[in-house]
Amino acid sequence: MAIDMSQFYQVFFEESAEHLAAMEALLLDLDIENPDTEQLNAIFRAAHSIKGSAGTFGFTDLADTTHILENLLDRIRKQELELRADMVDAFLESGDVLRDMLEAHQGRGAVDPAVVEAICARLRQLSADEAVVAAEVPVVPSGEATPAVNVASTRVFDIQFVPTEASAKGDGVVNLLEDLRAFGQLDILSQPDDAPHGVGFWQLRLTTAGVDSDFTDQIDFVADNGAWRVSEDKSAATADEFGFFADAPGAPDEEQAYGFFEPLTERPLGEIAATVDTASDDGYGFFEPLPAVTPAQVTEPTALLDDGDGYGFFAPLPVAGGDPLVPPVLDEGEGYGFFVPLPAQLPETVVESSEPAPLALAQVPTAVASLAREPARAGRSAASAAAASDSSIRVSIEKVDQLINLVGELVITQAMLLQTSTQMQESAPERLLNGLAQLERNTRDLQESVMSIRMMPISFVFSRFPRVVRDLSNKLGKQVELKTSGETTELDKSLIERIADPLTHLIRNSLDHGIELPEKRIAAGKNPVGTITLKAYHQGGNIVIEVGDDGAGLPRQKILAKARERGLQVSDQMTDSEVFNLIFEAGFSTAEQVTDVSGRGVGMDVVRRNIQAMGGRVEIESMFGVGTRMTVRLPLTLAILDGMSVAVGDQTYILPLSYVVESLQPEVDDIKTLSNQARVIQVRGEYLPVVVLHEVFNLKSGWTDLTQGIMVVLDADGAKAALFVDALLGQHQVVIKSLEANYRRVNGISGATIMGDGHVALILDVSAIAGMAKSNMQKAG
Amino acid sequence: MEAMTHTGATTGEDDLIASEYLTFTLGNEEYAIDILKVQEIRGYEPPTLIANAPPFIKGVINLRGIIVPIVDLRIKFNLGKIEYTPFTVVVILNVAGRVIGVVVDSVSDVISLTAAQIRPAPDFSGTFDTKYILGLASMDSRMMIVTDIERLMTSADMELIDNASA
Repeated sequence: MAIDMSQFYQVFFEESAEHLAAMEALLLDLDIENPDTEQLNAIFRAAHSIKGSAGTFGFTDLADTTHILENLLDRIRKQELELRADMVDAFLESGDVLRDMLEAHQGRGAVDPAVVEAICARLRQLSADEAVVAAEVPVVPSGEATPAVNVASTRVFDIQFVPTEASAKGDGVVNLLEDLRAFGQLDILSQPDDAPHGVGFWQLRLTTAGVDSDFTDQIDFVADNGAWRVSEDKSAATADEFGFFADAPGAPDEEQAYGFFEPLTERPLGEIAATVDTASDDGYGFFEPLPAVTPAQVTEPTALLDDGDGYGFFAPLPVAGGDPLVPPVLDEGEGYGFFVPLPAQLPETVVESSEPAPLALAQVPTAVASLAREPARAGRSAASAAAASDSSIRVSIEKVDQLINLVGELVITQAMLLQTSTQMQESAPERLLNGLAQLERNTRDLQESVMSIRMMPISFVFSRFPRVVRDLSNKLGKQVELKTSGETTELDKSLIERIADPLTHLIRNSLDHGIELPEKRIAAGKNPVGTITLKAYHQGGNIVIEVGDDGAGLPRQKILAKARERGLQVSDQMTDSEVFNLIFEAGFSTAEQVTDVSGRGVGMDVVRRNIQAMGGRVEIESMFGVGTRMTVRLPLTLAILDGMSVAVGDQTYILPLSYVVESLQPEVDDIKTLSNQARVIQVRGEYLPVVVLHEVFNLKSGWTDLTQGIMVVLDADGAKAALFVDALLGQHQVVIKSLEANYRRVNGISGATIMGDGHVALILDVSAIAGMAKSNMQKAG
Repeated sequence: MEAMTHTGATTGEDDLIASEYLTFTLGNEEYAIDILKVQEIRGYEPPTLIANAPPFIKGVINLRGIIVPIVDLRIKFNLGKIEYTPFTVVVILNVAGRVIGVVVDSVSDVISLTAAQIRPAPDFSGTFDTKYILGLASMDSRMMIVTDIERLMTSADMELIDNASA
């Protein structure tokens, strides 16, 4: 009997999609000049797995295309070919084609055979003509006396920031400048007119021996998140360098990078001293003993280094044994040498980044190179290694939801039991009460862990953006760097799916409108490479996602002019945030011309609507010429809501807490009527429309007089209203249940929940209620 | 089974196959509904009101974590005395993928009816549209109105579903 393979198709599709995603991420991460062998292998493996399973399942088109891709990858991996940028492009494109093919096999869309043929031809072409280039790979002769490198001696950082008002008025900026001077030579390239106490754009250049993490904290303290950036000026730093090192942690490419050190590895240890001797004579010696080197071996070269009068970099490692090593080196204070022992940081980095190599000495260049040029890399590779080893199981979302529902039941039952036991008071045996208390703790823990199953790291969304930024910046001729942080921040799966589109939109918007063209940026005294920062973190019960850019900022005047043109009610007295919020109006765009990226004015209004539909908010901050930051606030999950319970007659309703501004008991004089129909209430000089809930819902209220109840002031997306209820009952976290599953939509109600006593309480739809207030006013007016 | 009960007038082998029906009373009338549509029977508990809903929709209750709307058919069809006692019964139906509770005066019993026993109902107009009646069945001296409860509950008349079919 033949096995029906189709039952495994879904698994194949999911797996292949994952492999493709992994491949894309790796490709984008790849350093073209110096590809990491491990990464190349991983890309190859991904392609190979797709090919293998595609063949097994009989998807020959997939298998064929992947085969060609794999061939080329294999040659690169074996270093027969040199990786080039156009190859990465071709790989990415073929990844797209493969994804389309997968979709087509699942019955969504179709693949144009011409496109497939084109990409196959391109891959073959790359594979063929690269054979010529491969012969020309420059090989550094191993014996050449390239002086060893002093990469980390000085680094030049460009620092740009706009201080917060508080820190500028105080001594924050003055202190920062002092702190920075302590790190090295500080040049002030530009500063605000009324420096040092003015709020404005600072541009500094710091020449230091340290790393940027030493002083970024201080800047962060003075300037708002996103209102500062530190970039290393590589060109300035290279001027001080002699020779070169490639940063390929764990992949010593001897021909290219370590020519000078190669003899060492092959010679007996006795000769080391002589070699190092040469190095110090040359003046730029660099030697770093590794933990593996015994003290006896170290002493000799150290002594020689002492005599060297140069610019040697000597960082003794505490683990290296002989502690008397440190002082002699430090005594050698001549010249512009860099003699900073890094007792804590260095050993760590070295240990992490170096992979086991046959000879301990062969590790030296590897470790140093990665340390000097990209210290962060070691940490990153360690993190990705950890992610790869994570094990997981695939469970259908229905099963998880069922589990969540069941636990929700358990929580309600437990609450009912607890309530019953408190009613029993003294007659309840103590053991029962203890057991119930225990049950309460357990159910709460259980609920938390079950809810966390649905939580996914936001990296699922973030991971697609490097590609978006790369493609779009190429298209627009802009240089953009994407920085992400907080990828591990978790939020509900349903939110992850729904936040992807709005975020893509915000990023495209930043790229198209925010970041300027390189020429413009240089003219404005900025780094030609723009930065888009993508950041996620938790704040209170919310998750905050920031999309920031260091581009042109929002042009206030232009937005106002455009708004007037479109007949919107605006005035020059509007605050910045009010003006910026105008860009969320439908059809609003200040782009001079419509590109295929943006400018049609659809988009930002959709972004805001989508985010609001998720119960979130979006805010804009912008400073003209410095940058823009969009902040999206979302609830952690759609399943749970922070609510305030209010009573109307004998009914209980839940108000989402995020909409509640304040509540107050109204005075008779505060309530006025318009045309004897609509009522307004004066709250702190503001007249708000009043919605009387028992009238709207046709209920019997306990009060006939409005002054006896409570007014709850609600703010639904800028529209304020006062809701009259009988009483406030309390504050709860409620599990949201759908009313529509078994019933229909009800105006003014967004859902239902089950209270501790097992009764159903309806959740009020605040936007609809604010809308009712508005239509009341219109009727009256 | 639907097909079988619809062809109640004709005779054939199908007529001998009996289906089970749950019967309940509304005022003086006795109704029969397909027992496979019934999920459970429970006592009445005061539901949570739904604003601006028609009077026969009493509100929603919590049925083990599911929000279930409660319909009082006595109000809908204007039958019997509308009072809620500890003996008032709610029949929980599972129709068209939805869970709906129906308040009735009392549940009588479960009976077996063959298609032959179900007679077509005479055409009459009134609140209770004949299109929801599959036929009339008699047992002893009782007459039971065999109702297509799924069609009734999903109809626009009941106002239970958005975009309900007419």
